[in-house]
Amino acid sequence: MARFAFKGGVHIPNPYPVRKSEIKQVPPPEQVVLLLQQRVGGEAKPCVKLGDRVLTGQIIAQTTGKFPTNVHASISGVISAIEKRPIPHPSGIDAMCMVIDSDGKDEWIEIEKCDKEFLNCTPDKVIQRIREAGIVGMGGAGFPTHAKITNAQGAHTLIINATECEPGIMCDDSLMQEYPREIIRGIEVLMHACGAKKVIVAIEDDKPEALNSLLMYNFNNRISIEQIPTKYTSGAEKLLIKALLGIEIQSGAYASDHGILCQNVGTVKAIYDAVIDNKPLISRVVTVTGSAVKSPRNYEARLGTSFAQVVESSEPNNQAHHIRMGGMMMGVDIPNAQYSICKITNCIFVNNKKPQPTVKECIRCSACAPVCPVNLLPQQLYWHSKSENIEKALEYNLTDCIECGCCNYVCPSNIPLSEYFSFAKALERKLTREEQRIDRSRERFEFREYRLERNKKERTEMMAAKKKALKEKMAKDKEKDQEQKDKIAQAMARVEQAKEDKNNA
Amino acid sequence: MHSTGLNTNQIMRQVIYALVLGVGASYVFFGWGVVLQIMLGVISVVVVESVFVRLRGRNVMDSISDGSAILTAILLAISIPAIAPWWVVVVGVAFAIIFGKQLYGGLGNNPFNPAMLGYAFLLISYPLQMTTWPVDFLSFNQAVEVVFNLLSFDGLSGATRLDDVKTSLSLGNELASLQVHSSSQAWINAGFLFGGIYLLARKIIFWHIPVAFILGIVLMASLISVFDSQQHLPIHNHLMLGGTMLGAFFIATDPVSASTTPRGRLIYGFLIGVLVVIIRAYGGYPDGVAFAVLLMNMTVPLIDYYTQPKAFGRS
Repeated sequence: MARFAFKGGVHIPNPYPVRKSEIKQVPPPEQVVLLLQQRVGGEAKPCVKLGDRVLTGQIIAQTTGKFPTNVHASISGVISAIEKRPIPHPSGIDAMCMVIDSDGKDEWIEIEKCDKEFLNCTPDKVIQRIREAGIVGMGGAGFPTHAKITNAQGAHTLIINATECEPGIMCDDSLMQEYPREIIRGIEVLMHACGAKKVIVAIEDDKPEALNSLLMYNFNNRISIEQIPTKYTSGAEKLLIKALLGIEIQSGAYASDHGILCQNVGTVKAIYDAVIDNKPLISRVVTVTGSAVKSPRNYEARLGTSFAQVVESSEPNNQAHHIRMGGMMMGVDIPNAQYSICKITNCIFVNNKKPQPTVKECIRCSACAPVCPVNLLPQQLYWHSKSENIEKALEYNLTDCIECGCCNYVCPSNIPLSEYFSFAKALERKLTREEQRIDRSRERFEFREYRLERNKKERTEMMAAKKKALKEKMAKDKEKDQEQKDKIAQAMARVEQAKEDKNNA
Repeated sequence: MHSTGLNTNQIMRQVIYALVLGVGASYVFFGWGVVLQIMLGVISVVVVESVFVRLRGRNVMDSISDGSAILTAILLAISIPAIAPWWVVVVGVAFAIIFGKQLYGGLGNNPFNPAMLGYAFLLISYPLQMTTWPVDFLSFNQAVEVVFNLLSFDGLSGATRLDDVKTSLSLGNELASLQVHSSSQAWINAGFLFGGIYLLARKIIFWHIPVAFILGIVLMASLISVFDSQQHLPIHNHLMLGGTMLGAFFIATDPVSASTTPRGRLIYGFLIGVLVVIIRAYGGYPDGVAFAVLLMNMTVPLIDYYTQPKAFGRS
């Protein structure tokens, strides 16, 4: 059990629990749309051309930079388009995607097998394999896993987040029930990669089956599997660390600063696949749930499969649907099911369309404050975010908001508070950028002024020095002239003397 | 307040239901005037709020249906003497809604408690009508006649208990010679106390403000009684007379105008309690709940600013 609880959070029962733990395999689709935009490193550059034939598992795009990430073909076939497509993102923007039309063979690329047992590889080698497999945080954040491990090298504690971050998502639960051996092995790979001596697997207490199945396969006494109370936002990294270890990571600091590495259990499975089975990340487990599907359940689908194809297997009804990617709290609403599964698609909510509850005025009831897991005053923040008073919002620790949506959930006036905060944060970033730009140009301007001033000063000094030198020279010249004249005069005198002497003689 | 599963409209309605016990007790002792005042208040609030919301170009139905205006009217109406002439409550409600709420931008934006602003306005403007209470149960007909000025209320009325005490004390009488136990007022206060406990149990209000409020009264009243026991009311009278319980559970807890942080609510409630006793003991008016609440409303931004809880990762 977690010894150190954090304040706030809400208990939300899973609205549509999956009855079976079985993960249904979705057959490779006719076409996949693979997202090139990455969380870190920007857009992956295609390394194949339009019309090329690619094999399953082949690298088709790469990001460059500090933490390069790979994108692999998830089916074999022909690249039929490299173009902008709508992506599941709150902004609703289009981004570069690569489209592969299947040849129906699902032919795998020859993957170079690492014949050595992973324990005989150096940690760097293991991390390199994780990197090559294109693994990112599968819990929803999508941060490149190899980068996170590299940053946390020498960590003492490894935390495996098996809390299933939001109510409704069940993919990790079924992964633990279906692949306990692989997950324990994956944890051992991670331990080897980051050097951690201790591992805590945190499972919420509403998943006893997952707990039991992991316990059954865990023979490593350095891995302890712990239950924590089911409470929404205990899956947030810093809060989970607080709950397990009692360490409160300061605002702006990272878990790695305290020698802690946190990884999602889905990521661990992907690491197992990559390091032990030599398979890159080309598929993931997705939960399909919601009020509009008859049988909510978990699927394993190739990346790039359209939502519609996966949702189809869960027998959706014929009404108008409201689709949401991710959990019921922090997910992203998307207009239709014609989007495709990407590395961070942990859940697809298919709900019946129903009228949005009317938003009323904030009556400052402060119901939002006790549920805030990071102990903010959402009601005050709302006031300042709404009036775009960013400076004031920052005083109320706007940047610490984790946008978990607990405040939205309890608000009796149905105010989407966290949306205001996310907007205010974007505004703050924009203002900071602008300020930096202004600072930079002011610095440039000031430097130019300084430079001109300096040049002017230097020139006047130079001129003065020259003048002085000239004067001195002139004075010297004059002296010289005088000397010369004197000498001439003396010489003349001598000549005169000599003449006179001659005459006298 | 989703722990209750209620939305804003339902919260307002719950608060109105919680008033039933106290209002019932008022009815038992003062008769139909109580009901009449509430009806007058509610009718005039619907009219005033509708007109002003329309002037501001907002949806009238949304505004009326949230119940906050009606709650304001009821709180004001039950603070007004049951035999006050009809125009008193109408003027009070109009002032409360226009100057206390709509001019600030409507629900959620008013710094002062509108009902108490209306009450203070009435008390200052019409002190006579605001301090004359019926001494007996009034039948419906009697109440109608009195409220609509068809009958002189001389025979039916008297000052409030707190007013009585104040006047007698100022005339040099000793406290002991007065019979202060006013069972009617105690019953009414008990009614509001139970209503308040209902709100606490439903988690519609936080415990901080009422508890701190009562604590403030107890502490301040004991302090005064130590130095000046002959001249001032004992603690139990402070608690069960006047608007104490109504103030503690229904007025000071108005979320819009109260402090919003846990520590802030404690300070806010406590200082209201202290001010209530000070105003009762040394002020020019018999009861001090309205002024105490309004004074503390002004300090809310300051209290809120300095009582921010430490955010996660900022300790």
